[in-house]
Parts: sequence; C-alpha cells; structure tokens
Amino acid sequence: MDKKSSRRPNIAVEITLGIVVIVALIPIAWTVLQAFLPNRAITSRSWQFPFSLINFETIFGEGSAFGAQTLNSIVIVIGTAALCLIFGSAAGYSFSRLGPPKWLTVPALGLAALLPLVPPMTLVPGLYVTMSSLGLLGGSFGLILLNTLFNLPFAVLLMKSYFDQVPEELREAALVDGASEFRAFRVVILPLVRPGLAAVGIFVAIMAWNEFLLGLTMTSGGESAPLTVGIASLVQPYSVTWGQMAAAGTVAAVPIIVLAIFANRQIVSGLTGGAVKG
Amino acid sequence: MSSPGTVRAARPDLSRRRVPRRTQWTGRRAASVVALLPFGIFLLVFAVYPFIELIRLSLTKTNVNNAVFVSTWTGLGNFIAVLDDAEFYRSVGVTAAFVILTVLLSVAIGLALALLVDRAVILLPIARNALVWPAVVTPVVVSVIWLLILSPTVGVLNKALESLGLPAQGWINSGFGAFSAVVVIDVWHWTPLVFLFIYTALKGISPELYEAARTDGATERQTLFHVTLPLLRPALAIIMLLRTVQGVKAFDEMFLLTHGGPNNATNLISLRIRSLFFDQLNFGSAAATSLYAVIAVLLVVAVAVLIRNLRKGRVRG
Repeated sequence: MDKKSSRRPNIAVEITLGIVVIVALIPIAWTVLQAFLPNRAITSRSWQFPFSLINFETIFGEGSAFGAQTLNSIVIVIGTAALCLIFGSAAGYSFSRLGPPKWLTVPALGLAALLPLVPPMTLVPGLYVTMSSLGLLGGSFGLILLNTLFNLPFAVLLMKSYFDQVPEELREAALVDGASEFRAFRVVILPLVRPGLAAVGIFVAIMAWNEFLLGLTMTSGGESAPLTVGIASLVQPYSVTWGQMAAAGTVAAVPIIVLAIFANRQIVSGLTGGAVKG
Repeated sequence: MSSPGTVRAARPDLSRRRVPRRTQWTGRRAASVVALLPFGIFLLVFAVYPFIELIRLSLTKTNVNNAVFVSTWTGLGNFIAVLDDAEFYRSVGVTAAFVILTVLLSVAIGLALALLVDRAVILLPIARNALVWPAVVTPVVVSVIWLLILSPTVGVLNKALESLGLPAQGWINSGFGAFSAVVVIDVWHWTPLVFLFIYTALKGISPELYEAARTDGATERQTLFHVTLPLLRPALAIIMLLRTVQGVKAFDEMFLLTHGGPNNATNLISLRIRSLFFDQLNFGSAAATSLYAVIAVLLVVAVAVLIRNLRKGRVRG
C-alpha cells in the first residue's frame, strides 16, 4: 500500500485505462439508457432521449408474466444459496477436519472436480429424463435442486479452503469441553468462517440469478420460468418490444452490478477461487 | 420425547463420551460421513444417475409416447450416425474456431489489462472494481446489450453510421458477421475474469524480485519478459484451460443472439445438442453428441495435466 501511494501516476497509463473502462462499460450503460426510452425513440433514426417509465410499467403490468418470473428467480436464488451454504459448509468441514473414509472422499472429490469441466448442455438430456421421472420438471423446486448441484462443488471446495485456515486446536478444545461434533462445528468453527460463507452465498446467488440453460430446458416457459427465460422470450430477431427487452435486462443486470460494487471482494474471491478449483 | 426426564438422562452421556479415545474417533468418523451425505446424494441423484441415463439414451433409439420415454437398443448406432452427419463436423469446427479465438483474445487482452491496471495509481480502485462488472452481468442480458448495439434495425452502430452519412451494415445478418460478433461478445463478457485472475497472480509476485532486477540495471521491457511473464506462466496456463472449458460450455449468448445461424455459422456444439434433443427430438443423437463433447473436454484437460506433470518432472531433473 505504501509503495503504491508513493508511486507517481503515469498520465499515459491513466488515460489509456480510463478509455478502456469507459469502452468496457458503454454497452451496459447504453442498455440501461434504452430501458428508459419509449419504443418510438429507440427505433427512430435520429438521436432523441425522452425519459419514460412505460417499459417498466408494461413488463410489471397486467398480463405480463415478468413479475411472476422475477419472483421465481428470487425463490430460486434464496433456495439455492441456502442449500449450497448448508450442504457446502457441512461437506467442506468434513473434508477439512473430520477425515472422512477414503471410499467416500475419492469418488466425491473426483466428481466435484469433473462436474465443472462438463458442459451443462451435455448433461441436459440425462437430466431431463431424470427430472421427468422424479416429477420435478417445470417448477422452481426442481430448478433449486439443479442449481444447487452445479454450484455445490464450488461451494464445498471454497468452504474447505476456509475451514483449513481455522486452527485444529479450537475444535479439540470444544470437544474436550464436552461439545458434540455438531455443536463444535455450529458454535465454535462456523462463526470463524463467516467471510467464506459470505463469498459462497453471494457468488452462488449471482450464479443462480444468472442461470438460463436449466430454466429454459426444465420449464415450459410462462409463469413457471425464471426471469432469464422471460427475458429470452422478449428477444426475437425482429421483435418490436425493444424497450421492454432493455427494461427487463436492466431489472436483471443492475442489482448484480450494485452487488459487484459493494461486495467486490467476495465476488472476486468467488470468481478466482472458482477458477482455480474449477 | 422432549420430557424433562430424557433431557436429564442425556447429560451423563455427554460427560462419559470424552473419556475413551476410540469412541471419540468413531464419533468423528460418523460425523464425517453424515456431513458429506447431502453432497454425496446430490452427486448420485443429479450427476451420476443422469450421466447413466445419458449413456443409455446414446445407446438406444428413444421415442416419447404419452410423455413416457420408450427405448429400443441400438448399440453404437447413434455414435456412427452422428459421425455421418456433416452438420456435426460443421458444429465441431465452429466450436473449435470459437474456442481458439476467444481463449487467445481474452487472455491477451486480460494480460494487457492486468499489466495496465498494475501501473495505474489514480484510476486503480475504480478500474479494479468496474472491470469486474461485465463478468457478472446475466448472460441473457449480455445478448440484450449486444442486440441493442448490433441490430441492423435499431442498433446503435447503424444509427451512428447513418448519422455520419455512411451506409448501414447487416452486422449479425451474415455468417461471418455473426461469428465475429459472437467472438467479440464472449471476449467482452469473459476478459474481466482473465484480468482478475492474472492481476491476482501479478500481486503475488514478490516485490524483491523487481528490486533485484532494478539493481541489476534491467530495463522495463527486460523485467517484463524475464521476470514478470515467466512468473505468470502457471496462472496463464490455468486461465487458458479454464477459458477453453468455458468456451465449449458457451450457450446462452449465442442461443439468443443468433440461434446458431445464419446458415449454422454460430452453431456451437451446445446449441446443436439442444436443437437435436428439443427441436428434432432425436434423443439418441443428442446424447451421443453430448458424450463426444464430454470426451473431448476431458481429453483436453488430461493433455494439459500431462504436459504440466512432464514439465514439472523436467524441472526437478
């Protein structure tokens, strides 16, 4: 830090970087701007920017499934994050501290390493048949389970790396004081890995919110689908609902960007951690 | 069950437990299995079983009768049929070109960005935060964003061209245009991940190495090529592998923006599998194509791991 602040800024570097950041963000800003324009301004050949909320009124108004789809997405995000936090920290703790038997760790870790490598689309035919025979097609509950599956390997491995940093003596001390394994985990260890829980929770929430392929293939669209599928139904090659499309995209993207501003550290740890382990 | 009697009866149990060491160990072993169980069940039900179903689909001719899948055994017929289909090769070619271009471009730009941000002072905190944003934007919204830029009718690019008195372009309406667009979009979307990854690795290089280089009178360029880049090699290798895997996975942006067209110019393998399974209801071919894709990805990863191990062996002598 000291070294940083004592360094003299190089004007050429600062200007180049400024241009790069602006170019990288213009596409997002343009969509947000279009969301507040009526269709006639978007399709117009001239540059005009009459501010309007009509697109948001339409997508959340009567006869539109978008409100229900947004709710579905919120339910899926909460369910997936909760399951990943519970199962991910339990399994991560087991790998880190409890020394589970080899017959369990070898296949579980092997699969956890393989799953992120496999393109999800290649599993869709098998998953579709499985979900159909379990009667889980077409609803948010099935999507919570599938989102949990694809995020759990990451959650388990990231939580394990956080548990690895907790001194083993703490667990032993708790056990000697008469606590059960569960109590030692719940009362002593878990509060110490809160930064890990935050990183996993935020990152998994973003992944579940952004998920599209499973929502597309495992629901029949309409009110049972998540919001990404709803946006997709607005994207037609020659569609005339440009403004609604931009507004729906804004509703999906802006909360995530706000999260990226304030929880940057957790997201970065999720992105890079997921990359190393994936 | 929750009568006061049982609670009191449980107490001596707790104090007895800490005495014999062996009991404590078995308690730990039981806990280790119980804690892993949900994860294991998830993998079994939603990864292993669907994968077995995938293999079964690939070896059978399956039809849907009244929402029930009916299969007849065909052996390797689907695998052979897929190899007879020109569309399969076309899709593999598109995917390979897409992966190679997006990996090289995003790693080159991401590396340049990391080196640039590392030198910045004033804009450092803003750039480090803002350059992450494209990577977290919903992929479906990425399509929306770029449609509003590239659309021949309402896109901002054509609007700008016309304002300058230049003719409007078709952009994503031609095969080459659509493929280039899909590459640019993927690079825009995922270069931030590469940047983050390399920047983190860059921050991990010990400052003493740079000081040593400076005392030895090395120029900036020499330091870059003889200190920084060699030390970044492991991180570069990992991110290239990760981006390769990501490239084969790519689906959302292309599905919405181009639907694999025009003339299948952007028909990546994931799009082909979806269309085989859901549009043509050719479940066997979809499953066989999926398995080819899985095998290809695993082969690439295996080769990468093998190369790494060979390198390590050589360094150790």
